[in-house]
Amino acid sequence: MNKVYHTLKTIFLLGWSIFVVFPFLWALTTSFKDANAITSGATYIPWVDFEPSSQGWTSLFTTGSQGINIIGPFIDSAVVTLIASLVSLILGTLAAYGLSRFEYRLGFVKNSDITFFFISQRIMPPIVLAIPFFLMLKELGALDTIFGLVLVYIALLLPIAVWVMTDFFSGIPKELDEMAMTDGCSPIGAFFRVILPNSVPGLVVAGMFCLIFGWNDFFFAFTLTFTETQLLPVSIVSLNSSVTPWWSLSAFALISVAPLACVAVIVERYMSRGTMSGAIR
Amino acid sequence: MAKIVLENLGHSYLADPKGEHDFALKPVNLTWQDGKTYALLGPSGCGKTTMLNIISGLVAPSHGRLLFDGKDVTNIPTSERNIAQVFQFPVIYSTKTVRQNLAFPLECRGVSPSRIRQRVAEVATLLDLDYALDMPARKLSADQKQLISLGRGLVREDVSAILLDEPLTVIDPQMKFMLRRKLREINRQTGVTMILVTHDQSEAMSFADEIVVMKDGLLQQSGTPEELFSRPQNDFVGYFIGSPPMNMINLDVRQGTLATDALSLTQPSPSESNALLYQLGIRPEHISLVDQTAENVGVGTIKKIEHLGVDGIVTLELAANVVIKAKTRKHTAMSVGTTMGINVCQDDALLYLDGRLAT
Amino acid sequence: MLQIDHLTTADAKVTLDDVSFVFEAGKIYTILGRTGAGKTELLRALMGLNPLTVGTVKLDEEDITERPIRARNMSLVYQQFINYPHLSVLDNVAFPLRRQGKDKAEAHALAGQMLTTVGLGEFLQRRPAQLSGGQQQRVALARAMVKQSRILMLDEPLANLDYKLREQLREEFPRLVADNVESVILYTTTEPREAMELGNTMIVMHDGRVIASGAPADLFAHPPTKDTASVISDPPISFISGFVRDNCLYFSEGHLAPSEGLLLPADGPVTIALRPDAIEPDGAFNAQIGLSEFSGSQTIIHLDFDFGRAIMMVDGIEAFTAGNDISVSIRSEHIMLFAPDGGNITLRNNQNG
Repeated sequence: MNKVYHTLKTIFLLGWSIFVVFPFLWALTTSFKDANAITSGATYIPWVDFEPSSQGWTSLFTTGSQGINIIGPFIDSAVVTLIASLVSLILGTLAAYGLSRFEYRLGFVKNSDITFFFISQRIMPPIVLAIPFFLMLKELGALDTIFGLVLVYIALLLPIAVWVMTDFFSGIPKELDEMAMTDGCSPIGAFFRVILPNSVPGLVVAGMFCLIFGWNDFFFAFTLTFTETQLLPVSIVSLNSSVTPWWSLSAFALISVAPLACVAVIVERYMSRGTMSGAIR
Repeated sequence: MAKIVLENLGHSYLADPKGEHDFALKPVNLTWQDGKTYALLGPSGCGKTTMLNIISGLVAPSHGRLLFDGKDVTNIPTSERNIAQVFQFPVIYSTKTVRQNLAFPLECRGVSPSRIRQRVAEVATLLDLDYALDMPARKLSADQKQLISLGRGLVREDVSAILLDEPLTVIDPQMKFMLRRKLREINRQTGVTMILVTHDQSEAMSFADEIVVMKDGLLQQSGTPEELFSRPQNDFVGYFIGSPPMNMINLDVRQGTLATDALSLTQPSPSESNALLYQLGIRPEHISLVDQTAENVGVGTIKKIEHLGVDGIVTLELAANVVIKAKTRKHTAMSVGTTMGINVCQDDALLYLDGRLAT
Repeated sequence: MLQIDHLTTADAKVTLDDVSFVFEAGKIYTILGRTGAGKTELLRALMGLNPLTVGTVKLDEEDITERPIRARNMSLVYQQFINYPHLSVLDNVAFPLRRQGKDKAEAHALAGQMLTTVGLGEFLQRRPAQLSGGQQQRVALARAMVKQSRILMLDEPLANLDYKLREQLREEFPRLVADNVESVILYTTTEPREAMELGNTMIVMHDGRVIASGAPADLFAHPPTKDTASVISDPPISFISGFVRDNCLYFSEGHLAPSEGLLLPADGPVTIALRPDAIEPDGAFNAQIGLSEFSGSQTIIHLDFDFGRAIMMVDGIEAFTAGNDISVSIRSEHIMLFAPDGGNITLRNNQNG
């Protein structure tokens, strides 16, 4: 009975893994193919099925008619995403702590309304936001700059951070802050000495969300930049010409997935060490 | 209604238990009669909750069988066992009225509306909640909410047993007393078997016809409250049942008898015993404190008097630095530092060999 | 010395209503009351955690009402076992000392000593989550005590523990706090027995007010109001509405109550309170046995009289079958009388009892 169950489980998981990994395998082989190899049907084994070519990869690091150099956009993307995520996380965590611990009242506006206000920023479709953002950045002279994009991304990521962290903080008993204060901490001291060290799981989740949303955004990067600044998702578009360069696209896809995959692996390691789970009962 | 039999029933959370210590519940044989009240008693982690979960069907036991009225239900799912449960915290549908709460389990089973009305009215009368039927359930006090949780089990006519998982924890002491009485009355009037899980020995004693004492997954003793109180089978039961715990006084072997300097009570030395530890167990309730006379079995100086209301606990130091506790109602007339005579009935002094009651 | 005057709160679900009291250093005060009586609110108001609408808190004649929490020199042990999850047991207890500015070595030394006192000397490097409930509460107690703060408050510290652990910690409690001779110790509980066992002074709260205070034994023997009698009696006290006519006490028409040694008020209705020790088997009153419960060496019998319900406690294990009739006597020296509106006692037994 148990044996059958284990065998079935193994088979199922194996099948599922193949299902998940397959697109990556496909992208990997495709990135080493040339035009001929791609049109000749589905093949997977290099040197046997097809003759590998490094064209897909080299085209991403050369400028000119053969391709684009993605090193610039990669760095821009990384800088924008990291700065925006970090700022959002810091501001969002502080805002969330305030919202979960203190009572605010501005006329009829209370804590829950403020929290909703933050989240409501994500209700509107991006196209509605694009025009005001465009006009505002133009006023600031920040169109087509990294600074401008960082501003916009903070506006987009902050609600996520506030939302995740408010939820997380409300799960930490208030008594913990109170105890820290009776033990001689100021309110802000209680936050840094006691609440923050116990919030690592929440911070990691919020940070992950920020990184994923920021890194993957195409729409705002596309509408708010032209030539000077270009983010990774936008630069891929310029690759497309009369012949779709599947090899370059595949290589590009792998490169853009890589940073997030690295983050995921690190976080997973960290989580399985058990340092985050079970911090708070 | 059902007679519940645990047949060599044990459970290990490990796939392949090696020894005794791998069992969360070491195999037990127990028979619970229909219509009586039972208590599973022990400290946290003793296996009482595992046993309850096996009976309710939330856990499938790794060993043995569970029988309801002779029918093997070991692998039957919870929903088909006709078990009702009341949990530590009241579980009610807070948006519904009391009436809707009570009717819900019947509605789910497709009982006719007229029958539902009748059953709800009957159960409400039983619970003394007639007047509250149309109140929103959330407005009731904690003990009334617990009664509703119980009532949702009682409305079903096919219910075999009601399992109570520490239902009195969140209730104030005086209300606990009343709720306990209510539970007993319901048991008597409906004849439904009730099984209470608790860590509170006084609750178990006053609630149950029979108590199962457990520790570390092992059954320590099962019996009526009187049996557990007057003849605890081992030192753990002596400690766990009764408050304060049983006094244990070490005995020395002296010329074929067992004796102590503290009390002039002796026990014949058991002939075939190689026990390392001989102890005399005496309940604090069985020690009477009197003015000193020649007939006393011992004398002691009062070290502490704890006032608990109607009765009190007196701590005494006897000869050879033996400290014992006595429970009495005459504590208000005593004072710390005075010396009292001690009387103990020979039958109330039990002999323990290495922590087990000598037979 | 801690003095509170007219403490009143408005915000919380349970509010304080004009609470005044003077607490002396070196004594243990147990605050007894049912759930929702305002015990926790009182402690929180003292800490400065709940805002006051009216009232002052004075510590040694100095008004500290407006002082921030961290500067109040108070500590609090919660009912839930609250410790710092990210710190080891040792660092948990050292935490308040470090905030006081002690260096790490000194803080650790003092914390280690305190943990040894509470019996956790072996677990210094564990995280709180790796300890049992009782041990976690010992950590919280150690952290509260190590500061040697002027006011040590414990909010139902044993309520979430197993019965036997509770018994054990209750037994140890006086020894654990013995060093805090400079402190006012406040201990809230819902259990009358716990309040009487631990307190030098017992304070009874009801509906956000202090309704009685005094030495536990005195308060138990002479509760000043019906509510007090009700809150401090476990097993519960039974109230029966009776009346006085022609200098005789009646439970009801045709049921003359024993009144020997009682000074009776003028004719009119009274509330008669019977504790379990006021009733004994055999006598002039007939009752039906509602239920008999076994409790240690005693048997608790619920009685249904024609005029109301009451509880009798009998020493020893005796079989009382529910549904049977029984005759009992009622001892006049254990009867208490209250005004029918539940207000102040109109009269109490003039004898000792």
